[in-house]
Amino acid sequence: MENNVTCKEVMNHICDNLGEELNSPRCIAIKEHLNSCPNCQSYFKNVEVTIDFYKKYNVTLPDEAHNRLVDYLGLKE
Amino acid sequence: MEENELIEKAKAGDRHALAVLVKNYAQTVFNFAFKICRNRDKAEHTMQETFLSVIKHIDQFDSKSKLSTWLYTIVSNHCLMMARSAKKDMFASIDDEEALIDESSITDWSVSPEKVTENNELKEMLDDAIQKLPADYRIVFLLRDVEGLSTEETGKITNLTVPAVKSRLHRARAFLRNEINKVMQDGK
Repeated sequence: MENNVTCKEVMNHICDNLGEELNSPRCIAIKEHLNSCPNCQSYFKNVEVTIDFYKKYNVTLPDEAHNRLVDYLGLKE
Repeated sequence: MEENELIEKAKAGDRHALAVLVKNYAQTVFNFAFKICRNRDKAEHTMQETFLSVIKHIDQFDSKSKLSTWLYTIVSNHCLMMARSAKKDMFASIDDEEALIDESSITDWSVSPEKVTENNELKEMLDDAIQKLPADYRIVFLLRDVEGLSTEETGKITNLTVPAVKSRLHRARAFLRNEINKVMQDGK
């Protein structure tokens, strides 16, 4: 198994495959690198947090906007 | 009443069924439209146009499909149409996938995602970063990573092949991470 993966390769892999469980020999080598490289771990964390930021940033539909929608569509009951 | 039943009634012209469907999905559509536009007025306009389109074309909706997928498709198309009228130079160039990986500036971020709900500065930073992404990249990132749709569903909605979805997602993730990292580094 080839283990000489670079940080750049690991970071590319993170952006490509985050959240997917891949088990090819190359992926296993990448996971091993990730487990022992603080820089790549920080990068991984950064990408995860980026996604989490956007997941948690939500807006609520105001009642007035909902009323305007119902009026606009002519669905007032 | 089950959603399928509501859809069938709406197809038959039942206004009450339509009103219930609109009520059930208005929040989802508004939130998703906001996530693409990053502007409440544009999100409201998109929501109105989306449901108008639903009412006009409900008879063509294939009941075997998911209503949410259809709604995401209409919102995405509407936002892409609006984005086409925006100047191209407003968006960052992210053609070079390799160049997007910045190995030189790795920082541990101290801000927790939980703070998003209460921190306006953080919201502004997230709005600024995502608005630099071309709309088609933004939509792929939001559908796949934020809304949690599969690569295949995202491709169907955006009319992109699976490799094209993956490539856009890769670039969007790397680009957004870099933009946020710049701000986090400056703040240290």
